[in-house]
Amino acid sequence: MTTPSRTPVTILTGYLGAGKTTLLNHILTGQHGRKIAVIENEFGEIGIDHDLVVNADEEIFEMNNGCICCTVRGDLIRILGGLMKRRDKFDHVLIETTGLADPGPVVQTFFMDDDMKEQFYVNGVVTLVDAKHILQHIDSSSEAQEQIAFADVVLLNKADLVGPADLDGLERRIRSTNALTKIHRTINAEVDLSLVLDIGGFNLDHAMELDPHFLDEEDDHGHEHDHHHEHHDHEHDSEVTSVGIIVDGDCDGPKLNAWLSELVRVDGADIFRMKGVFAIVGNPDRVIFQGVHMLIDAANGGPWGARERQNRVVFIGRNLDREALNAGFRACLV
Amino acid sequence: MRLIAGPVFDVTEHVIGARWLADGTSVVAVPSAGAPVVWDGADISRELPDHGMLGNGCLAVHPTAPMFATGGSDGKLRIYATPKDSPIEVKLGRSWIDRARWSPDGSRLAVGHGKDLLVLNPAGEIVWQSPPHKSTVCDVTWNPTQPDELAVACDGGAYLWKIGGPEPFARFDWGGASLIITWSPDGRWVVTGDQTPSVHLYDVPRDFPLHIQGYESKVKALAFSSNARRLATGGSPLVTVWNCTGKTGPENSTPRQLEGHDDLCVALEFRPGSDLLVSGGADGRLLVFESEKSVRPQAAYLLDAALTTVAWHPMDLRILAGTASGKIQAFDIRP
Repeated sequence: MTTPSRTPVTILTGYLGAGKTTLLNHILTGQHGRKIAVIENEFGEIGIDHDLVVNADEEIFEMNNGCICCTVRGDLIRILGGLMKRRDKFDHVLIETTGLADPGPVVQTFFMDDDMKEQFYVNGVVTLVDAKHILQHIDSSSEAQEQIAFADVVLLNKADLVGPADLDGLERRIRSTNALTKIHRTINAEVDLSLVLDIGGFNLDHAMELDPHFLDEEDDHGHEHDHHHEHHDHEHDSEVTSVGIIVDGDCDGPKLNAWLSELVRVDGADIFRMKGVFAIVGNPDRVIFQGVHMLIDAANGGPWGARERQNRVVFIGRNLDREALNAGFRACLV
Repeated sequence: MRLIAGPVFDVTEHVIGARWLADGTSVVAVPSAGAPVVWDGADISRELPDHGMLGNGCLAVHPTAPMFATGGSDGKLRIYATPKDSPIEVKLGRSWIDRARWSPDGSRLAVGHGKDLLVLNPAGEIVWQSPPHKSTVCDVTWNPTQPDELAVACDGGAYLWKIGGPEPFARFDWGGASLIITWSPDGRWVVTGDQTPSVHLYDVPRDFPLHIQGYESKVKALAFSSNARRLATGGSPLVTVWNCTGKTGPENSTPRQLEGHDDLCVALEFRPGSDLLVSGGADGRLLVFESEKSVRPQAAYLLDAALTTVAWHPMDLRILAGTASGKIQAFDIRP
């Protein structure tokens, strides 16, 4: 859970050339009144020479051998540890990943390392997508797919270079991968910075704020998408998809816990993000949860009140078995 | 044994480094942000240029002359020939400089800069640069017995370099991430303190690695006794002292565990030529041990915040401590 004393961290991802550096320049020069420290990746694109930018060289290590959720970024722990020694703390930290990076270890750093957990919380993942060129590599690049899969916000950048119909198609394509993400079309990475900096994507309170129609969209687009591509051109048969489940009624708490634990133990490597709201039998309050790979977190979401007790959960990942997930979840119902 | 507290100097920010200069007359202290200061131990101070909005990174005090260097987030290294001189300023690039170490004879300064290991002379000229490592150089240390050899912690292990060499002459790889590295005074052991709560020792002549686990937290403090017989390690409230003698060193040995901290030990230093060990804790306690004689501290003092750095005076029986609240304080030790 977020606490006011912790500093929000936004993770900025995107394939090479998508516009991350342009967005960083907007953030560094914008009149937002916040003191934002930027940790910039060392590789590839043009670096920013600015007093609030520090370079990082990706250093990934496993805190426990072989466990993917324990894969974290040692360089970030060192740099952020240094930054937060100062009395006059930063208002926000923005971490740019390399164009080829898996966002997982960056996110997990803030869940696994005690010092990072104490001082920071992940506000969200923002992924820049090059609207003009994304289709050239989205099917062949697991990194591009994973960056979209992790995103709380996608900035569909260079929108001026693509026609409206194609942009609509791209949005559907992105939503078929990540049904939860918010999508904003941008030109030259210009965007209201509050849409980038005030996401709350990893805040459990926000996990309840699932778009009531997102599953409808996911289903509609997913089916349409699958149908279209499987039976017509096969070009966009994405491996990374979203599976949404909405079921009325109450779950058996121990059964649900056991199922989720087993699910992330067996398939956690393939599950990038999870979010959900559960109704547990005998519990008058909503149970909200979210997860990254094998890390899951749950909290009390307040009373259901007059609302219908309806379970809603979304899994975003690779090779997800929609039927098995549905069957597994329904088996937890009383 | 008693600790007699001297005056306090406030640099207002977390002290990342504070040491007496080699002549023992002045203290240099580097806070995490704002001006580094030179302090005479009483009232007089001189403020030095800081290293940018993201803060200062390191302090390196020369072993034999009243020289020192500071580095930081601006990618600059400043070398001061004396506390009164203007610095020689070298802009190494865009990467943060948070590790710099003088060679034991003081003729060269090793700096970790991004993925590079740079060696400069006291005039600030780069005399050697390693090929880039796979990840950031986390820390650097010199071989006290071989003036051309140094080691860096990076990329999940330690790389051992000979100046001028096209590639490391040895590499110890354990796949984790380290915070600090030190080389024993006899040249035998290269040791890393790690982000996973552990210590890795490399017996260089035997080309043999050891892994010590069981610490409560990241190991941010390592100190060898000047005779290289003992390695003191932080990472827990107990200060763990390993026997580094014999054919196998700490392997299968039982360490001495020194008591007195209520929170993690985060700073350690042996007094040269002695078994006296000073320890600083996150509990704000400054402890002095006669480490060969007792596991209980011989002297203790409680400061107002977590300690971040401790150092012995180069000649006198005095200790310097820096804290997370920005205080620097000197202590005399009396029988």
